[in-house]
Amino acid sequence: MTGTVRVENLSKTYQVRQRKGLFKSFRSTVEALKGVTLEVRPGEIFGLLGPNGAGKTTLIKILTTLLLPSSGEAWVNGFHVQRQENQVRASVGCMLMGERGLYWKLTGRENLEYFGALYHLSPQDRRQRALEILERIQLGEIADRTVETYSSGQKMKLAFGKALINDAPLLVLDEPTNTLDVPSASELRAVVRDLHAQGKTIIYTTHIMSEAETLCDRVAIIDHGQLLALGSIEELKDSLRRDQVTRIEGVIPSRAVAAVKRLPTVQQATRTSADSGDLLTIVTSDGHEFLPQIIEALTQTGATIKKIAPEEVTLEDVFIAKTGRTLAEDTRER
Amino acid sequence: MVRKELILMVRYPVNFIASFGQIFLIVAILSLGGRTFSANLDNPPPIGAPPTSGNPSGVVIYGFILFMFLSDTLWTIGYNVRHEQVQGTLEQLYLSPASKFASLVSRVANILLWTGLLTLAASGLMVLMIGRLPVENPWLGLYLLVMSLAGTFGIGFAFAALTLRIRETAQTMANLLQFVFLILCANFFPFSALPPVLLRISRLIPLSYSVDAFRSTLMNYPPGYPELAPISVEIVIVTLFGIGMPFLGYYLYRRAEDHARRSGSLSSF
Amino acid sequence: MTATSPTLKSNLSIVLASARMRLATISRYPGQLLMDIFIPIVFAAMPILLGRATAGPDAGENFAQNTGTSNYVAYMLIGSAAFTIVTYAFWHIAYWLRWEQETGTLEALYLSPTHRVWVAGGTALYSCLRSLFSASAAFLIGSKILGVNPFEGGVGLAFLFILSGLIPIYGLALLFGALVIKVKEANALINLMQWGVSFLMGIFFPIAMFPPLLRAIALLFPPTWMTNGVRSALLGLTYFFQEWYLDLAVLWAFALIAPLLGYWVFTRAETSIRRNEGVGQF
Repeated sequence: MTGTVRVENLSKTYQVRQRKGLFKSFRSTVEALKGVTLEVRPGEIFGLLGPNGAGKTTLIKILTTLLLPSSGEAWVNGFHVQRQENQVRASVGCMLMGERGLYWKLTGRENLEYFGALYHLSPQDRRQRALEILERIQLGEIADRTVETYSSGQKMKLAFGKALINDAPLLVLDEPTNTLDVPSASELRAVVRDLHAQGKTIIYTTHIMSEAETLCDRVAIIDHGQLLALGSIEELKDSLRRDQVTRIEGVIPSRAVAAVKRLPTVQQATRTSADSGDLLTIVTSDGHEFLPQIIEALTQTGATIKKIAPEEVTLEDVFIAKTGRTLAEDTRER
Repeated sequence: MVRKELILMVRYPVNFIASFGQIFLIVAILSLGGRTFSANLDNPPPIGAPPTSGNPSGVVIYGFILFMFLSDTLWTIGYNVRHEQVQGTLEQLYLSPASKFASLVSRVANILLWTGLLTLAASGLMVLMIGRLPVENPWLGLYLLVMSLAGTFGIGFAFAALTLRIRETAQTMANLLQFVFLILCANFFPFSALPPVLLRISRLIPLSYSVDAFRSTLMNYPPGYPELAPISVEIVIVTLFGIGMPFLGYYLYRRAEDHARRSGSLSSF
Repeated sequence: MTATSPTLKSNLSIVLASARMRLATISRYPGQLLMDIFIPIVFAAMPILLGRATAGPDAGENFAQNTGTSNYVAYMLIGSAAFTIVTYAFWHIAYWLRWEQETGTLEALYLSPTHRVWVAGGTALYSCLRSLFSASAAFLIGSKILGVNPFEGGVGLAFLFILSGLIPIYGLALLFGALVIKVKEANALINLMQWGVSFLMGIFFPIAMFPPLLRAIALLFPPTWMTNGVRSALLGLTYFFQEWYLDLAVLWAFALIAPLLGYWVFTRAETSIRRNEGVGQF
């Protein structure tokens, strides 16, 4: 493997204490990552998808040296994440904490210049770089106000700008459009495409499936610490045949969903809300041959079917097939 | 809530131990500082001996008790509102149907429990360090304590109102008020030690009368005590303070809340 | 304009940037600097007023019998000023990582290629400046209010003791900082530690009042030597080793050992945290 980022058999376990009542507690082991192996190629936008608790953040933190792995190895820009930590840090620009990674009592400009100092930029270079970034992210007008006076979206933009301060070849962006309004999110995605066009490699996590589909060259799906799928958008979609995915709209009670799940050849059945009621997305292993049985199971358990629509496989379908739930559903449950 | 406090004590043992340890150390520092003025340091009176005319154990300890409650009230009731405003949970509180008064009262109960425990422990330590504690007129003393605490909680509510207005300077203000009260209410020394200018200001603060009446009563009115006014006058002042201040404080708090809601600053940093 | 390799010049630039950042932050808390001056004066006033009230006209004489000087006002003010320096060292250095965590910037700090010691150095510089300013102003203004001459005795020598005491104090704070990041109940621990050290250094009384074992423990703390040195220089008291240069030598020995020990313990604690929960979990 010769990627910008190389991960080989990376694992991370935590010892956590669980408490019961006033005095009782016991230790348990949590496996946040289990033998993950992947590669991020130079110059690509690499999407990292997974539900909460999947291990995405653990993986990112190991790659950015915030966390030490339990076993396995990883290299970032050719530097080993444990043996060459400072080189790794110098070669990566990160937006991990959103608006929390800023000093609220400093102005936007002061924040950027301070972080520029931490990346060993000379005073003149820091000032110049801060100026360029503020113009790029369109915060020039409020650059000299303290961050505490910024809106959430403005703070996120500044946090994104902070990731650009060292002009690193690799950017790690954790949900960068979170809390941004539609125009601002669109602007930020345009900047990401720009940076991509300049040859930067970008690791991008998002909860917005459409964002992943439009931005990412390749996507990795992680759940329960394991890499479940990795490939380009088209490859992942092709891994599911069109006739493996069926969408049924109507009024679908929980017992109906359970009845469908019990059917043989049904791999996943996930219910979400739609404009006209419920939307049941079903992934089967043998196409639509089993559709009559699915319909019978639904109607016998009180479901009302309004529309059946076998559609193009989307990235969300792949996600559901691999993890058993939707990304939006998982976000709502937070 | 008591269960919550117990759980916190067990799960955060350092916090628990540090609270007591800190009080012990502060008491020890001030006590030893006071003892450097003692004429017979090389032959100190045995521990537990009755106080001499130069031994201010009652003055210091009873003033300390009221100071502990005032300090915790300022921080737990007053500053805590600011803390919730900053972390955004004050808005959440408003979105819930829970009574705002109940929220304040729950913090009061918290203080009574926790600060009460700390105060008892600290008083015990101080007795060991600086001499026997006179305990006379316990029922009147208790009455004055209850009235003083009620008034102190009212100050806490009023301070909570102030924090909603002044926001980030609230922490500074809490520190300032704590120390201003420490001096002007003469918690650790007799009022006679204050310069005339400060004494005049002290006489304008109801809490000063609380301190004076409380410790004078429990010391059974040694010569010169109470220092600010006759005891009957001080009892009236403390009673009015204890009844009126909570209402005034709560009224100010609700007004500040309404203002915050009108100006949109409930969640404002 | 990719991040360049660290040089001594760039690392020193980080020290200055870190100090400047903290100074800019504190300048935006109106009134805080005034409080920094006011609180030590009030704190010193408590034993002074108590002493005057209990000892009356004999206050100075009694005090002189117990401490070697009748100038109890200056004695208490010096103690309070020393307490300010120690307190700031603990809250700015031992609490430093917790402060970064509370502001949400801890991970951002660890993501940068700068070694924490340079950022800590900047924080220490800020802390020094702020504590020296506050302590000096409190001492001068307090002396004025309470009617004593602040420039009695060897002011230069007193200042030398302060400067010599600063480095080991910060080393000590870093050592305690290791405990803070392991134990995690930072506020409580810092409060306890600052009062513990203040007790041991005898801010309002001579450590001769301690029983022998406690006195020996007190002498293991650099602030005890600093406080006694300043008092002895300004008020003509006795140095621990009878001569000022011997006490100063002890402080310099502390200045050599304490920062190295503090740094070593701190980095070990830090590595252990990163191995388990990661830096965000401080």
